[in-house]
Amino acid sequence: MSPCQTSRAANPIPVRAGIGLRAPHHRELVESRPDAGWLEVHSENYFGDGVPLHYLERARELYPVSLHGVGSSLGSADPLNRDHLRKLKQLIDRIEPGLVSEHLCWSSIDGRYLNDLLPLPYTQEALDHVVARIVEVQELLGRQILIENLSSYVQFSQSAMPEWEFLAAVAERADSGILLDVNNIYVNARNHGFDPLVYLRAVPAARVREIHLAGHTVKRYDDGEILIDTHSARVCDDVWTLYRAAIAHLGVRPTLIEWDSELPALSVLLDEARIAQHFMEHAHDGVAA
Amino acid sequence: MTASLRELQQAFAAGVFEESNTLLTDLRDGGFRAVQHLQIYRNNVFAKLTDALGACYPVVQKLVGEEFFGFLADAYIRRHPPRSGDVHDFGSALPEFVAAFEPARSLAYLPDVARLEWAWHESYHAADAAPLVPETLGAVSPEVYACIVFHLHPSARLLQSAFPCLRIWQVNQPGFDGEPTVNLDAGAERLLVIRHGVDVVIGALGAGEYAMLRAFADGKNLGEAADGALAVEPAFDLGAALRRHVVVETFSGFERLDE
Repeated sequence: MSPCQTSRAANPIPVRAGIGLRAPHHRELVESRPDAGWLEVHSENYFGDGVPLHYLERARELYPVSLHGVGSSLGSADPLNRDHLRKLKQLIDRIEPGLVSEHLCWSSIDGRYLNDLLPLPYTQEALDHVVARIVEVQELLGRQILIENLSSYVQFSQSAMPEWEFLAAVAERADSGILLDVNNIYVNARNHGFDPLVYLRAVPAARVREIHLAGHTVKRYDDGEILIDTHSARVCDDVWTLYRAAIAHLGVRPTLIEWDSELPALSVLLDEARIAQHFMEHAHDGVAA
Repeated sequence: MTASLRELQQAFAAGVFEESNTLLTDLRDGGFRAVQHLQIYRNNVFAKLTDALGACYPVVQKLVGEEFFGFLADAYIRRHPPRSGDVHDFGSALPEFVAAFEPARSLAYLPDVARLEWAWHESYHAADAAPLVPETLGAVSPEVYACIVFHLHPSARLLQSAFPCLRIWQVNQPGFDGEPTVNLDAGAERLLVIRHGVDVVIGALGAGEYAMLRAFADGKNLGEAADGALAVEPAFDLGAALRRHVVVETFSGFERLDE
């Protein structure tokens, strides 16, 4: 073991509830050291060498940390952004995260970034492409990564398979893990009209290493409504129900509460994490009863 | 003919940035017409990027108001879309963009306020470095002092403006409860933005002091820095200014360029 690891929290992400750490909570977290199983941050927010990285290193001494990327643009038809991956590798070397994850999406084309998680068409072409890219990224980073399913608001006419089949095939062929976002399954089930339990049953359980939970927003129009994955609210009751179904089916997994906009007090995130923790500890109660 | 993945992504990006509807032939209607589904991405992309700009430029946003800032951001995003998946650098061209932005022309000080905010942002994200240890200067013999180049701390940024930007910045900070008036004719201002630990601080500099630090930032030696400082401020006390900046840890080191 290298000497710099001795002051750090153990590396693996425990099978507990954790919280997403965002800049406004940096100082409070390292000063108050609340009880949280683990932390996850957006990798790109720590690509600089300044204040955010300072806090992440302090947080890393106290908690297991997972790095969650939002900007690798894995599914883009552009060449991989080597500079981005070099920065990610540097951050991984520095933080020694328990898990590294990215989204099953694209976010740039012709060098222009939309800074959003955009859906792929579920075609053989997209599947072959994104598998090759994940394999390449895993080689570059020297480790397996987790791939996360996302919320989407469009459906491509080209799509030849359902989302769950695409996700499972990507993970199997690229030999990656899966970060299963239960809120995103719920949002897509509502937006695109499928049964979220069909999705859950199709997920290869052994590949799921982490679960995400977040709040969404319901946008209402005169002629209907659509769910937007805003990460701006508490997890809703339906998503908690789906989460319980997920852990009953897959087994308990490290579970993260994500909150990105309209960030509340740190105590609210911890409160949500306690709810997740409770369900994890009683995962089999429903089955027994 | 079926669009390739690249064509689909190009049509998607054009659908968001240029409001092209080419993509619609490749989208299914869902709960709503396909165009309404695409519109969600248009809204999300612009809202997120506007938020990212607002996070770097809170004072500019406060000065022009949320609505005008949205209008400015919209134009900026179309002209300077992000070029990487790390949005830290995304706002770098905003000061120059504001300077050329016709609808903001009446706010002559706005580009400099934007430059100050970008300097603050860069300083916040810059690497840390140990400060220069004063004793190490003792090893340098006086006859080669002129050949010394001081290294500014990696977080140091220098700015000068014809407007009182620091005052504008201060009265627009959250929680400011003092006298909010700003005299726009207060005269030219020279500023040093630098980080100590996790705190970015902005300090006003004299003309000579600014010229000296600017010279070091440009890699010039102490002899050249002194000439520059004395040219703009004949009574400039070089020794006092150097001592002060060593004490307040403006420098991270020095080198001799005589060899």
